[in-house]
Amino acid sequence: MHNTLTRVQNVFGFFTSVAFAVAAAIAMSVLLSPQTPSASLELRNVQVVKGRPHYYSTKREEYAHVKFDLDADLTSLFSWNTKQLFLYITASYPSSDPTIIPPSEAVIWDAIIPSDYAPLHPNTYIHPTSKTAPKPKKSAKGKGKKEVGKPYPAGASPGIVRLDNQKPKYQITDVSGKIAERENATLTLHWNVQPWVGALVWTNTKTVGRWQGLQGGEAKFAFPPLKGTEVKKDDLKTETGGERNRGSPA
Amino acid sequence: MDQLLEQARTVYEGEIDFEGQRLAELLTYALLSISGVVAFLAGFVTQDIYQTLYIGLGGTALTFLAVVPPWPFFNQHPQPWLRAKTGPGALQGFNIEVDGQKVS
Repeated sequence: MHNTLTRVQNVFGFFTSVAFAVAAAIAMSVLLSPQTPSASLELRNVQVVKGRPHYYSTKREEYAHVKFDLDADLTSLFSWNTKQLFLYITASYPSSDPTIIPPSEAVIWDAIIPSDYAPLHPNTYIHPTSKTAPKPKKSAKGKGKKEVGKPYPAGASPGIVRLDNQKPKYQITDVSGKIAERENATLTLHWNVQPWVGALVWTNTKTVGRWQGLQGGEAKFAFPPLKGTEVKKDDLKTETGGERNRGSPA
Repeated sequence: MDQLLEQARTVYEGEIDFEGQRLAELLTYALLSISGVVAFLAGFVTQDIYQTLYIGLGGTALTFLAVVPPWPFFNQHPQPWLRAKTGPGALQGFNIEVDGQKVS
């Protein structure tokens, strides 16, 4: 500590140790905040039609278009160390030989739900406003400015998701190109809790310490037979997030 | 010119005495540890991680400010060094005997 340079090195060196210790304490502190996630996920409609993987493809595959209702309360997943929640719904169906081949799983919808403290990002999910709810009044000051939507319903807090007859983000198919008339399929809600510091936490269905497992968030269904041109193209639209319509077949 | 360079070196190196070094080390550990604990608690109580970030960084900046410059309170106990052995005034006031003979 005898001269300036040594003191700079010593202070900075000990600062890194303190920063690491504080970060570790923050990462561990999330274990203290109780979690009681619950969700009700229901299938609204599923249709299977022929489609192309992309516009110029000559290949014709079967695509399933799954609409669903979701009513989830995941507010307890937002602790002080939660940066954002990545929420996604998969459709899974057993393989031809379940003893050898694991079931197939495909994501039909996802959303990034940021905490109130997270900085704005163009990919951020914006919760649809319900048709019955009154529209926010336009203030004279904010004219010309676009109303910035919230990732949760008006008056709620992060983690509340109320989706009614929600379009999927992605139409799904199987590697074989055949997805019609498959039995024992399941819609499942999953999430990743992305912290500011610490470990990424995946969906827990079992109770661990103060963290309760997810209640509900599953729906059984079966893929219907293939439909032809009687299905309107309007009914097969996908939801586009902030990241545009990635993954939707032409 | 030599004097000027000597002054520049003193400012640049910013040396402090032994007692000052002990104090500087104590300050480093105490201030940084306290700011770390306070930052965590403040953030945990308010449930706002930005509080932790800014209090932690603020405490670190304060520590740098308190410890790095050679403040006068780090130089309150100058060491009474022995006199120079060479040059003008060397070996003055010492009685050095070699084989019973006074040499200085």
